[in-house]
Amino acid sequence: MESPQPGSRGAEALKNISPGSSISVAYHSLFGPHDDLLLLELDEKLLPDVLHERVVLRGQPDEDAVLCTPSKTYAMKFVGTSNSVLLVPPANHSEFYENPQKNDSNMEEDKVVAPVIKVVSGNMELVETAPRLDKLKSFLSEKTYNFDVGNLEDNQESTIGLYNWNDLVNNIQASDEELRSGLQALSAVEINGYWRLVDGSYMDMILGMLLKNSVLNDWSLNALNEDEVVCTLESDGFPGVLARHCLHTYGTKLNEGMPGRVWKLDEKRVCIHFAKEILKGGKRKLESFMDEWRQKVPDGMQPSFDLMEGEVLTERVGVETWIRAFSVASLPSTPAERFSILFRERKKWEWKDLQPYVRDLKVPGLSSEGLLLKYTRRTQPSPDAEPVFSAR
Amino acid sequence: MEIRVRCNCGEGSCEEWGIVELQGVVEPQSGFHDSLPNLHIGTLCRPSSQEVYTFTVGYHELAGSKVPLKKPMVVLKKVKHPDGESGCKVELQVVGVIRHKILFKNRPKALISKPQMGSRERPKPIMLGSSPSNQAA
Repeated sequence: MESPQPGSRGAEALKNISPGSSISVAYHSLFGPHDDLLLLELDEKLLPDVLHERVVLRGQPDEDAVLCTPSKTYAMKFVGTSNSVLLVPPANHSEFYENPQKNDSNMEEDKVVAPVIKVVSGNMELVETAPRLDKLKSFLSEKTYNFDVGNLEDNQESTIGLYNWNDLVNNIQASDEELRSGLQALSAVEINGYWRLVDGSYMDMILGMLLKNSVLNDWSLNALNEDEVVCTLESDGFPGVLARHCLHTYGTKLNEGMPGRVWKLDEKRVCIHFAKEILKGGKRKLESFMDEWRQKVPDGMQPSFDLMEGEVLTERVGVETWIRAFSVASLPSTPAERFSILFRERKKWEWKDLQPYVRDLKVPGLSSEGLLLKYTRRTQPSPDAEPVFSAR
Repeated sequence: MEIRVRCNCGEGSCEEWGIVELQGVVEPQSGFHDSLPNLHIGTLCRPSSQEVYTFTVGYHELAGSKVPLKKPMVVLKKVKHPDGESGCKVELQVVGVIRHKILFKNRPKALISKPQMGSRERPKPIMLGSSPSNQAA
C-alpha cells in the first residue's frame, strides 16, 4: 500500500493550505449518503470522557436516546442545517483510503485534493437533563422482597420480574452514578445479584427485632456492632443480607478506628419509619398520633413533628388537626407530573407546605424559582401576606 | 439497550476531519448525478496569509473564512457486530474530531469574466443552477 504524501490530500490539505495557493475540493471516490457517519457536538470538557470510552447511549427503541457520562445524563437533539456541510476525512483514514493513482483524471493527479465523503444534513447536540428514574421504582416494585421470599431456600425464587444491574442500565436512562443514588434513595438492596425493594412490613419486622435484641443484649443504639447484630438476627431467622440492609437503611456507619464495623441508628429515619407505620391505617388526629408515636419509638429517641416534613399533610377541621401520610418519595420526579399531582391534592399551597414537596426537583438549567414560575401561579393578597401557589 | 461509544485513537491522537460549509445546495448538472466519485466541485483558494478563503464553483465565487467551532464535534461511525444471542450489537466508534470549519456564509457572487471552455477537463458540477464552467486555476 502506498502511503499518501502527508498534507497532500484530505482534511490535512484543507487544514494546511499555504498562503497564495489553492486546492481542489472534489467528491470522494466513495462519496455517498454514509448514514452510519454522525456528527456529535459536545463541550470540550466532555471530550476526554468520549475519547476514553466512558460514555454510553441508553434508551429503549421507543425512547429518545440519552448519552450518559459516568455521572451525568444528556438528551441528544438533532439539529438540522439548510447549509451544505461538506465533510472531508483525513487522507490516511483507513476506511476511506484512496489510492491517488486510481484517480482517472490525469489533470488532477498532482493537484492537492480535499475529497468530500458526504454532505452532512446536521449534527447531534447534547443538553444536560435530569436522569429518568421513575421507571426504576415501578420496575423494583413489580416483585418486592417479602417475608415469604426471605424464608425460601437460596436461589429457589423465580427470577422473572427481577432486575440485575445490567437489566437496569439497559432500561433506565441515567448515568451509573445517578442510577446508584436512585437505588440508594429507594433503599434498594442487591440480593443474589438482583436489585430489590424490601417490603415495608418485612422491614418493620426486622427493625422491631433489632430493637428488641438491643434491649435484651443491652446494646447501645449509638454503637451497634455489625457482626453481632447480623449474627443475632440470623439466629432469629432473618437473612444476613437483610440484617445488614436494615443497618444501612436506618443507621449511619461510624468512623473507623473502632474494632469491627459499628453503626449508629439515625433518630430521624427510625422515627419516620414508625410514624409511617402508624399512618398506614389512615388519617389520624394529631394528638393521638403523637401519643402513639412517642410510645412506639425506641427509648431515648424524641419524635418531633418537624421530622414529618414532606411525609404528611395537615388539615384543620374545626378546632381539630388531622394528619395523613403523603410522602414526597411516592411522587413522580418529573416536574410536570409532580405539580399536577400536588394541585390535584390541594388547589392552593402555602410556600411552607409546598416547599418540602418540590425542593428535590432538579432540572438542569432551571432554577427553583424558574420551576415555580413555569408550573405555578403565585398570588399574594397583600404585600405582607404569605404567597399562595395554585395551578397555572 | 445500551450502545457503547468506542474510541481506538486515544486522547491527543484523534484524527482531525475537515468541513467546508456553504449556503444553499451544490447541485451537479443532471448528466453527472451518476458519476460523482472524484468529480471536481470547486477550487478553494487562500489568497493571503490571513485565514480568508475563496471558493470558486462553476460561475460562482464565494468568500469566506476559517472559523474555530465553538464546541468541538466528534465524527461517530455506527458499527454493527454480529452477536451470538440477540443478533446484532451496535457500537459507535469515534473516527475523528472536528475543530474548525471553512465557512462561506454569504451568497455567491457571479464571476463576470466569460469562462473559457476547456476541452481536456470534464465539465464541472455547478451550483445554484449555473452552467458548467472552467476555472482558471
